[in-house]
Amino acid sequence: MTLVDILQQQPSADTLQLWLRKVPYAAFLGIKAELRDGEILFILPEDKKLVGNSSLPALHGGVVGAFMEQAAAFHLIAKMRKPALPKIINFSLDYLRPARLCATYAQCTLTRQGRLIANVTITAWQEDRAQPNAIARTHFLLPETD
Amino acid sequence: MALCLLIVHIVHSRSPSGLSVALLSKAQKLRLVKVMSKHIPHAALLGIQVVGIDGEELSLKLPYQEALVGDPDAGTLHGGVLTVLLDQTLGMSTVCSDRVNPAVTPTLDLRIDHLGVAPPGMDIFACARVYKSTRKILFVEGFAYCESRDKPIAKAIGSWVRVADVDLAWLLDTAQTGAQQ
Repeated sequence: MTLVDILQQQPSADTLQLWLRKVPYAAFLGIKAELRDGEILFILPEDKKLVGNSSLPALHGGVVGAFMEQAAAFHLIAKMRKPALPKIINFSLDYLRPARLCATYAQCTLTRQGRLIANVTITAWQEDRAQPNAIARTHFLLPETD
Repeated sequence: MALCLLIVHIVHSRSPSGLSVALLSKAQKLRLVKVMSKHIPHAALLGIQVVGIDGEELSLKLPYQEALVGDPDAGTLHGGVLTVLLDQTLGMSTVCSDRVNPAVTPTLDLRIDHLGVAPPGMDIFACARVYKSTRKILFVEGFAYCESRDKPIAKAIGSWVRVADVDLAWLLDTAQTGAQQ
């Protein structure tokens, strides 16, 4: 089954895991997802291989960004009438505090979905959602079929 | 990211106030970058290598790997892989600047424009340099490409904060020791 086939399945806790397992880099990072109050909570479990600063230790900033980008893409796909892979146009990331070596969470907001472009904002945190480690904003080009 | 590894040492080192910028040789910059790389396990895991330093511009390379694919139907790399490579390249290029001495510089922000897709199977190169520095902020730009640097697949711009100076003599000594190991 291709990724696009898998994406046609109604988003649920199980299909989200299928999506994440089908994307090699998402599987490599170990990204997981759960449904919480109807919204998707993305989880990047603690993993030593994601460390970018061994003396703190802290997660690689780029990994936190990659996790947030993957969360944004799947958050958007879950809200598409006819799911397909959107193309990322740009990604803008603000680092607010270093991400320690522990589980990281992300939730997204589809701020606007037009005919061509979608704007998604992402918040990533560790212990306390009120103290985010990073926030990001991304634009996707939507497939013409949706 | 860059030089955070030195944070433990910084607590004990005095800020070299009034110190003029010491121009590092290409070999000294290369040693610094290689020593820093050793303290960034995730970059090593991905096989990110130093390609070279040309003036103030640092070049790194990320070898293509199937584990890093984002679209399994097309075999193309995940956009987030470019975020990792560009964060790494822009962050490490801060020690290649001839305008300011190396410092502890966490990333403030990073913006990436995705101009194209890396063709399946191809290694990705990234180049970056500090284009403006102030007392506290380093403004860095960079790009990534596969076939030719005239055809970038992504452009990046970001800022890094100089939170503490480092003792350059100590740093070079560490780099020297590191290079001999």
